[in-house]
Amino acid sequence: MFGLHYRLERKAIGLVLGIMLVASIGGIVEIAPLFTIHQTVEDVPDMRVYTPLEVAGRNIYIREGCYACHSQMIRTLRDEVERYGPYSLAVESKYDHPMLWGSKRTGPDLARIGGKYSDEWHVAHLMDPRAVVPESVMPSYGWLARSDLRTDNLGRHLKALRTVGVPYTDEMIASASADAYGQTAPDTNFAAGVAKRYGEATNIRPFGATPNGGLTEMDALVAYLQILGRLTDAAHRPVGG
Amino acid sequence: MDIAHGTLVWLAKSFGLFYLIGLSLIVVIYACWPSNRQKFDRAATAILEEEDRPWQ
Amino acid sequence: MIAELTKNERNGALVILAVLTVVGLVMAVAGYADPFGIHGGLVAIAALAGIFAVISGYFAPEPTLARFGEYYDTPSKIGIGLAMAWAVFGLFVGDWVAWLLAYPNATFDAGWSSFGRLRPVHTTGVIFGFGGNALIATSFHVMQRTCRARLPDQLTPLFVLFGYNLFCILAVTGYLMGLTQSKEYAEPEWYVDLWLVVVWVTYLVLYLRLLARRREPHIYVANWYYLAFIVVVAMLHVVNNLAVPISFYEAKSYSLFSGVQDAMTEWWYGHNAVAFFLTSGFLGMMYYYLPKRAGRPIFSYRMSIVSFWGITFFYMWAGSHHLHYTALPQWVQTLGMTFSLMLLIPSWGSAGNALLTLNGAWGRVRDDATLRFMMVAAVFYGLTTFEGSFMAIRSVNSLSHYTDWTIGHVHAGALGWVAMITFGSIYALVPWLWKREGMYSPRAVEVHFWLALGGTLVYVLAMWNSGIIQGLMWRTYNDSGTLAYSFVDSVVAMRPYYIARAIGGLMFLLGAIVGSWNIWMTVRMPAPVPADAGGDQPAIALQAGE
Repeated sequence: MFGLHYRLERKAIGLVLGIMLVASIGGIVEIAPLFTIHQTVEDVPDMRVYTPLEVAGRNIYIREGCYACHSQMIRTLRDEVERYGPYSLAVESKYDHPMLWGSKRTGPDLARIGGKYSDEWHVAHLMDPRAVVPESVMPSYGWLARSDLRTDNLGRHLKALRTVGVPYTDEMIASASADAYGQTAPDTNFAAGVAKRYGEATNIRPFGATPNGGLTEMDALVAYLQILGRLTDAAHRPVGG
Repeated sequence: MDIAHGTLVWLAKSFGLFYLIGLSLIVVIYACWPSNRQKFDRAATAILEEEDRPWQ
Repeated sequence: MIAELTKNERNGALVILAVLTVVGLVMAVAGYADPFGIHGGLVAIAALAGIFAVISGYFAPEPTLARFGEYYDTPSKIGIGLAMAWAVFGLFVGDWVAWLLAYPNATFDAGWSSFGRLRPVHTTGVIFGFGGNALIATSFHVMQRTCRARLPDQLTPLFVLFGYNLFCILAVTGYLMGLTQSKEYAEPEWYVDLWLVVVWVTYLVLYLRLLARRREPHIYVANWYYLAFIVVVAMLHVVNNLAVPISFYEAKSYSLFSGVQDAMTEWWYGHNAVAFFLTSGFLGMMYYYLPKRAGRPIFSYRMSIVSFWGITFFYMWAGSHHLHYTALPQWVQTLGMTFSLMLLIPSWGSAGNALLTLNGAWGRVRDDATLRFMMVAAVFYGLTTFEGSFMAIRSVNSLSHYTDWTIGHVHAGALGWVAMITFGSIYALVPWLWKREGMYSPRAVEVHFWLALGGTLVYVLAMWNSGIIQGLMWRTYNDSGTLAYSFVDSVVAMRPYYIARAIGGLMFLLGAIVGSWNIWMTVRMPAPVPADAGGDQPAIALQAGE
């Protein structure tokens, strides 16, 4: 009896192992080489990291499920390049944990939306999309302008991002909350700190409709939208250049 | 990582094919092995038996 | 339900629930400043409700040894009820968001009601809530019958079922509060994912324990499919959800992967969630309930084995076809496309096997709506897998990707195949489980069938049209060599199709409501034969004789 039992059990375990073996090959073959891809992708020295405010804005983009209708991946097709700009490079999303390439365009691609419209346009559009684009089917996000942005834990956000491989310095992590404010307050010492830590090319200005109020989620989201596609110029350089 | 990207890609492209053929052969042989035939026929019809109690 | 547990199991349940209550309270206190704390409270409340239920039945007499002469079907019965509840909920939310695309102002100026948060509520509700519960319920039924053995104990299956539903509830409430990893079909945050790992490993071990107890030496092929579903979903879930939380008292986490690796991992997961959650498990369902209902053995048992290994092997390679023309290296795209095409062989093997099983019983398919559900499911399975392989071709994908065509394809599979085979299986299973002559109203099954088929066709045709129009408008040039349409032109062109799609979805939802009512009435119907309660609990101790 025990012998039969043992044989039956072995058969079931064998089936499980067989399934695991057969099923894992495809994933290993396709995914493993991608972790050595940095050997083939050219280094982009001008690649910047997201500022704390942009990280916060990105998290709002994720929270509201914007990726369900907007892609951030311009394919290597002529019409896409003409409509949205140079096709997306792998390096451009190397600090995106997780990536937001998307799978559906109920609305247009946003990979290069940064700098295309003014901050005021973005705020008006997010408040009421149909006031700006009458045919739009996008929901309005008016409550973002009424919601205070949580900045006290941004240091922990940056720290977790550093753990998964984004090169934030100790200084960046320590001053994350102050930098979130500083990015919206030009001509202050806070702003100078942001420029020093994140580079002169960083957008430093009050992004939202409430220049004198506290930071809102609207400010952060607009700050994120305005940096999309602008962390590096790599895609705009001629091929091989 | 020490393993070169090129090596991994090469391995993925070449080994995968042999694995595919080998696995297909094993599966087809198992499915068509003559002595398995009876077992399979029994399995296919056994579920139709109308008895709703576990075997003691 | 509690009366069916032995004293030890009742104590075990109390221990588990007490631990869960403590965990929930700790989460609530530590995460008071974060939605994490709300989830903690939810866990604690659910666990306390469980404790209350166990205590209220704690002093009932223990089940006698006669239980070993019966299969243990209570978890399957509860699972069917939960599956139908999730179906109505998930389909309702789906139809709601469908109408939002036609009437975008129909929100309440609040976060929870916007499209982006409700969409994962819909996908999780139907895939994991409806599909998952249906799979768990039927897997318990099928594996006991094909192993000719009773589940090894009473507590574990209930733990798996209720634990899984706790996962679903945490996931859905999390989206409404804005908690999401943004990984499609893997949106729940890190602690919810960890809980699913606990539940899922228990499920796998339970399955193996039952297999070890089996009286039938050969493992019937349906069990292979269920087993692949359990094993591979575990692998996919663990790898894709690797993430670093910002702290242990906050919900937010950051994916371990980024950029191109993350995209490949996500679609390796996403496509194989389709393969092993939405295909493999449901093929298990088909390979048991279809022959059983038709009263004919499966056409070719060999073919089902070959298809099994084919699906298990090929699917894993196909994920990269979601990333054609992107920054993913081209050789990976090509591999994905090649294997997607080869995938057609085992897929059609299964679909053909199902249809050939029915060959010779077409009269019964005509008269029996339950069998017709299964037949139509097999047809849609064949069509959808063909369409999927077709769409994986790079040049086709350049048109179809990012458009509503993808949505149409997914729903042809989800409504036409997954939901149809599930409804067919449930209609077959409910009278068996509750020992009834048949469903309460065969005409209601008929009505459900036509609503489901009609709704699916309206939905899929609308999305095909809108998707292809969309794709063509995006790439059309005018004579001067510039793009002919702005993006918003394509949005305007979609509107009639969005309305048609919402109507198709509404039909499908109505069908599910009719089905739920019918199942409820069947359960409430008096049993035809007086029960011979041989000392066991009345709910499960009915005569096996048909």
